[in-house]
Amino acid sequence: MKKINKYSRRKFLKTTSAVAAAITINSGFPAILRADNNIKIGVPTILSGRVAQLGISVSNALKMAVNNFNNAGGLDGRNIELIIRDSRAKPDEAARVCRNFINSDKVDAIINAEASGASFAVQEVVRESGTLCLHTVSETSRLTADPSIRTWNAFRFSRQGIHDAVGSASYAATVIKEKGLKTWMSVNPDYAYGRDSDDTFFWALEKFAPGFKILGKGWPKIFQPDYTEVITQIAREKPDAIYTSLWGGDLVSFIDQAALYGIFKNTQLFAINLADYTTMSAVKNLPEGLHSATRYVAAWPNTESNRNYDKSYTDLYGDHPTNWSWEASVGIDYLISAIKEIGSTDNKKIAEYMKGKQKESFMGVGEGNTVKIRESDQTIVDYSIGWGTTVQQDPYMNNIQAANWSTIEALENEWLTDKGWL
Amino acid sequence: MGFLKKDNFERDAFIGLIVWIFLLIFYFVIPSPGIHDIIQKVFILGLFAMSLNILIGYLGLVAFGHATFFAAGAYTLGLFLQSSIVNNLGSLSIPAAIISAIFISTVLAAFIGAICIRLKDIYFSFLTLAFQMLIYSIILALVSITGGDQGLMGGFPKPPFLGIDLGKPFDFYAFTIFISIITIVLLRQLIESPFGYGLRMIRDNPDRPAALGFNNQRHKLIAFIIAGSIAGLAGSLQALLDVGAYPEWAFWAKSAEPLFMILLGGMHSFLGPLMGAFIFEILNDFVTANTRYYGLVLGLVILSFVLGLRRGLLDWLLIKFYRK
Repeated sequence: MKKINKYSRRKFLKTTSAVAAAITINSGFPAILRADNNIKIGVPTILSGRVAQLGISVSNALKMAVNNFNNAGGLDGRNIELIIRDSRAKPDEAARVCRNFINSDKVDAIINAEASGASFAVQEVVRESGTLCLHTVSETSRLTADPSIRTWNAFRFSRQGIHDAVGSASYAATVIKEKGLKTWMSVNPDYAYGRDSDDTFFWALEKFAPGFKILGKGWPKIFQPDYTEVITQIAREKPDAIYTSLWGGDLVSFIDQAALYGIFKNTQLFAINLADYTTMSAVKNLPEGLHSATRYVAAWPNTESNRNYDKSYTDLYGDHPTNWSWEASVGIDYLISAIKEIGSTDNKKIAEYMKGKQKESFMGVGEGNTVKIRESDQTIVDYSIGWGTTVQQDPYMNNIQAANWSTIEALENEWLTDKGWL
Repeated sequence: MGFLKKDNFERDAFIGLIVWIFLLIFYFVIPSPGIHDIIQKVFILGLFAMSLNILIGYLGLVAFGHATFFAAGAYTLGLFLQSSIVNNLGSLSIPAAIISAIFISTVLAAFIGAICIRLKDIYFSFLTLAFQMLIYSIILALVSITGGDQGLMGGFPKPPFLGIDLGKPFDFYAFTIFISIITIVLLRQLIESPFGYGLRMIRDNPDRPAALGFNNQRHKLIAFIIAGSIAGLAGSLQALLDVGAYPEWAFWAKSAEPLFMILLGGMHSFLGPLMGAFIFEILNDFVTANTRYYGLVLGLVILSFVLGLRRGLLDWLLIKFYRK
């Protein structure tokens, strides 16, 4: 009896291996060798693990725009084909996926939806290949602020840390005046983004409301489940205000745990990444009156086109868009307009088209609700940055104040000069 | 052609040359950059896995922190090519950078190895892991030098040398495979030398070679240093390919990759890890192109190898068809 079982198991494994090999040979290699007339866009992103929501919401936004383009007849019958692949947030994997897009799939452009580390890897691949690249998602300013990293064929359609920092500090300064906040603490994730966010926020706050005192800084690890040690530090120091750039599940855990200690009764929380539907809806009892930047909410910008965008997305996917969605949507929108206007996918012509291009957008707060790709560093400006306070039900945000882009750009120039990048 | 019958350096070098020429012809016969990319990655990862197999397969020491040397090689090469030394060295920059990468990895392996080889079994494994996490933390902390968790940014130049321009896909392909084959041929001489058999003796029964007058510790240390230097070479080639270096390469999960390759290809045949790298890379390419459940598929494949074949693929093939 025992022998029969052993035989069956081996036979099963052999059969399984043979089937797996056959599938590999039959469907794997043709993908490498495939070629057709479609306009191909490669999208390296994160589709697995704790931040899979990033890749999913970017993919949704891109598919929505591409379906509209294809249903309208494409470019002289040429449809856009999205090739979306998971890099598992590994920089070398993102580089490999990109090289494959360029070499095997012969993509016309890359929409990079990677987090910061992998975005720098993607930048190096496209610098070598000259492939048109639209960065979405990564918020690290250095990607476009440092001239040594820029390349003619890469454009940023994602928020930038320094823009958010100035917007945040200018809003915080008004609350400081109103409520007389003097002492601060910060809780930021212990990696480049968190450290940059902390540096730039307090650097900008010093410009708007000097004289505050920092009582302490907490640096929890990314994806840390327990924030007790940071929260007890806050309970001990009793600061008037806390600044945090925690995001996603980390921010949810922090707020849930800090609320149990009653931290938010006497302390104002400034959470730059809170106002995203997926984050706010995940907080068990969202305390009212927390301060947050508007990552993406239908209530801001308060325009018909923004509400329509939210509705179209929600109708299609049964879930609200995220901050990453709008970035991808604006990026693909620019690309589609360029392709339509130029009538081809020539990367040099598209790059020329994009430089300095002002375009009406649901996220635009420039003249006539426009965003702009600034020519000097090929990065998006005039996108909506607002701060407000949380409420428990939809629209989740109240008392939203818009950041002033001329103030942002003035201080950004000062910051760039300090860094030696201007 | 009489030398082909003997198992010696000439024969290995000849076979290596034939394989290299075959792969160069293959480059033009199948002009698919995607497949070329896979082949050069297989050789880079193969070197990485083969270097670890010196410790696992031939010495019986399971090192969990082998990516330390991979990352050391990658960062050394990247930092070297980003520095102003390139302006002075000009066309010698790439060879000098690769030699520096191997040198730094060797020194690091000598230092870490001297401490780790004093321990056995799980204690050895975890000490190598501890050193790896130490190096990882240093890379993250030295933001101004290493770029911290963003990695080395801004790329680096690849000045042509001896008519080889690594910025050109064919030159890079030919160069990477050439360097890898030379290393593999030299490694085989080492493994088949009395030194290599000494390693097997230490693995099988450490007391016996010690009783015969062997200095086990010195043997282990030399093996550890050689393994580290080859991993450093692999890291430097990877950095050349990606034009950057990333802290993820020094993270513990990176050390698991060559372990998977050894499991897939086999630890008891010399080229087993290279075959493992091939399976790993093909799986990676195929799975990420078709599904997001990479971990699940990789886990199932490893499970089928471990439970079904009970050894790596090359080990299994050799037993089934050759060593009957």
